[in-house]
Amino acid sequence: MTTRVSGNTADAVALLKVGHSRLVSIFGSIADDGSRCVNYLIDTEKREYRLFSEPVHGAALASVTSIVPGAAWYERELHDLYGVEIEGHPNLQPLVFHESWPSNVHPWLDTSANPVRGKYRFLEVSGDGVCEVPVGPVHAGIIEPGHFRFSVVGDSVLNLELRHFYTHKGTETRFEGVPASAGVMLAESVSGDNTFSHAVAYCQSVENALGVSVPPRGRALRLIGLELERMMAHIADVGALCGDVAFAVPAAYTARLKESLLLASARIVGTRYWRGLSRPGGMTRDLSNESAQALGAVVKSVAQDFAELAQMILATPSVVNRFETTGVLTRDVARSLCVVGPVARASGLRLDIRRDHPYGRYRAMQITVPRHSSGDVLARARIRIEETTVSARLIAQTIEELPAGAVSVSVPGQASAEGLSAVESPRGELLYFIRLREGLVQRCHIKSPSFQNWPALPLAMPGNIIADFPLINKSFNLSYSGCDR
Amino acid sequence: MIFDVAARSLASKQVLIPVERLLGDCTGSRMPHIEPGLLTFEAASRAVAACPMSALRLEQHHGIRQLILDYAQCNGCGQCIDAAPGPFSLATRNVPCGVSRSALICHWDVDRGHVLYADEPAAQAASAAIQALLGRALNIRQVDAGSCNGCEAEIAALTNPYYDLERFGVHFVASPKHADMLLVTGPVTRNMAEALRHTYEATPSPRLVVAVGTCGCTGGIFEGSYAVAGAVDAIIPVDAYIPGCPPTPAMLLTGILQVLNAVQDRP
Repeated sequence: MTTRVSGNTADAVALLKVGHSRLVSIFGSIADDGSRCVNYLIDTEKREYRLFSEPVHGAALASVTSIVPGAAWYERELHDLYGVEIEGHPNLQPLVFHESWPSNVHPWLDTSANPVRGKYRFLEVSGDGVCEVPVGPVHAGIIEPGHFRFSVVGDSVLNLELRHFYTHKGTETRFEGVPASAGVMLAESVSGDNTFSHAVAYCQSVENALGVSVPPRGRALRLIGLELERMMAHIADVGALCGDVAFAVPAAYTARLKESLLLASARIVGTRYWRGLSRPGGMTRDLSNESAQALGAVVKSVAQDFAELAQMILATPSVVNRFETTGVLTRDVARSLCVVGPVARASGLRLDIRRDHPYGRYRAMQITVPRHSSGDVLARARIRIEETTVSARLIAQTIEELPAGAVSVSVPGQASAEGLSAVESPRGELLYFIRLREGLVQRCHIKSPSFQNWPALPLAMPGNIIADFPLINKSFNLSYSGCDR
Repeated sequence: MIFDVAARSLASKQVLIPVERLLGDCTGSRMPHIEPGLLTFEAASRAVAACPMSALRLEQHHGIRQLILDYAQCNGCGQCIDAAPGPFSLATRNVPCGVSRSALICHWDVDRGHVLYADEPAAQAASAAIQALLGRALNIRQVDAGSCNGCEAEIAALTNPYYDLERFGVHFVASPKHADMLLVTGPVTRNMAEALRHTYEATPSPRLVVAVGTCGCTGGIFEGSYAVAGAVDAIIPVDAYIPGCPPTPAMLLTGILQVLNAVQDRP
């Protein structure tokens, strides 16, 4: 599934030029001798993750953004965090560090001076009647902080520029020196609404590094948790989309459905969002077959109610009218920005980690992957509606076939190894790369679907009116904290 | 068709949870309950050694060996419960919420097995004044100053039909200028510190500030990160704290009403 290749940047670039390969991530690391390395992670056309590493020797690194536009933010992050000069990058402005940071301080390196930081400049759009609308970082609703800068003429948006990383917490460095078993607490706090996906991705990366295999019952319980998380996320998203077009009934109805899943989780597994349940080696707690059945009954009834509601939403002309042709992300743009998850599948891309890189119990299951091609808000809503049904079916099937036996095995404490693992989180491909030294985490990189998808949002805006931005933004539903880390 | 769904929704069983069942409830918070009668020095030592957050510690004061639990530092990992099942179990009631920082620190006498001192359980204090609170209005501005969005998900849940915060006259508003209370989650990142200060300054006095979640109360697992400025009270003055990772909607509701209660009692 994963191959480590002793290739260099040139090999990575050569591979990226091949039609069906996909850039997964670019990240920095520090080698044992203290030198900086750059790592390229690529999903090949054989659906195999390949990792290319190369030390950075003084000179600048050639940008790959002109080959793969989806590399732009990764290279800016590398420039900020590791002080690596990137030659030929179209816009190497600070991404992670804002003006309040002192210059020439580099938290990720002991010695190297940081490149010039200076003031961030938004793209200036000029012309008759063009004005700028700044929004954020503190927004009107109960949501995360980020800044959006619109250039508009009247209602029409000409350009949208994002400025994020307000919630940058240096999370990846927090893993360093932590025992492999304890790192899961940090993973659970990367993006709170996808907390179980993060926990499982982290645990699987440790298990892959150590060659540990989770018992079948543990794998089955993880699948139930992952699909339940997807159901909650998708149901809430569809409700929020209705809320954004002032259709209050489904908004309240979906809030009730989501809460009934949360209450069932609290009652049956002791935690609303499945925090604290996944640990390297398996699950911390078993679920009796009766409890699993009880959970299954709630899931079934929620899925039925939601399917009826969804039918009603899609049969309401005033909703479809607002969703259709709004915020179109074309297939070409989605592909070149390496977009993942429901957003990719709504723009016609075939991509689902559960099927392409199966893990845990998904290896033994048939996954239906819905796909739409219009790339608008309606397509993204439809994907979420259809995937909710698929998730409910996967949960029901897993509960029916729940294997007997243990839910976890012990993991070796003092190993030195490397591993990576991806899961299909509700927002798409979520990947952890981990390096262990004598049982402690030395480097942990998180490829977040939100980091990958945010740059695509501005490209779905031009031609739309500013009043549709909340709707379009919600249809992407990206995590700020997951992106900023 | 919409009327069918609305009608069915109205006809379906009432989901609104009565206030008596919400106040003081913390089911699903994963925080520990400590049973004083079962507590021994050995069990307490095992739990302290297992705690990765330094929320639990053993200290000797006035010749009494005390187990101290700081709820503001607990993120509910449950390792104390695994290390000392029996005296430690999952709490279902009365984790202090909406109280001062010091009231989140509770003490047990490990040798004689009783609670030394802890704040009055929030539920009892709040329920007495609930009637008086109805009819008052409180406007809340929520500020995410760097959270993982776990707290936001639970705060947003307060508006769903199970909790329906608006029944108490409590509303979430879009601008700090309309707010009586700031509900702030953290840890406060370096990139958000300035925006949080501006939001605080834009809120008219008298204003209440409530720090929410383990990270908002203490910085939590992000304390000490190069990118984190600190807990909420390191940036702006804080009136009350609601612990939890994340706090459940019932804990948030208990905390908000507890703060109102305390304000009302102020001479």
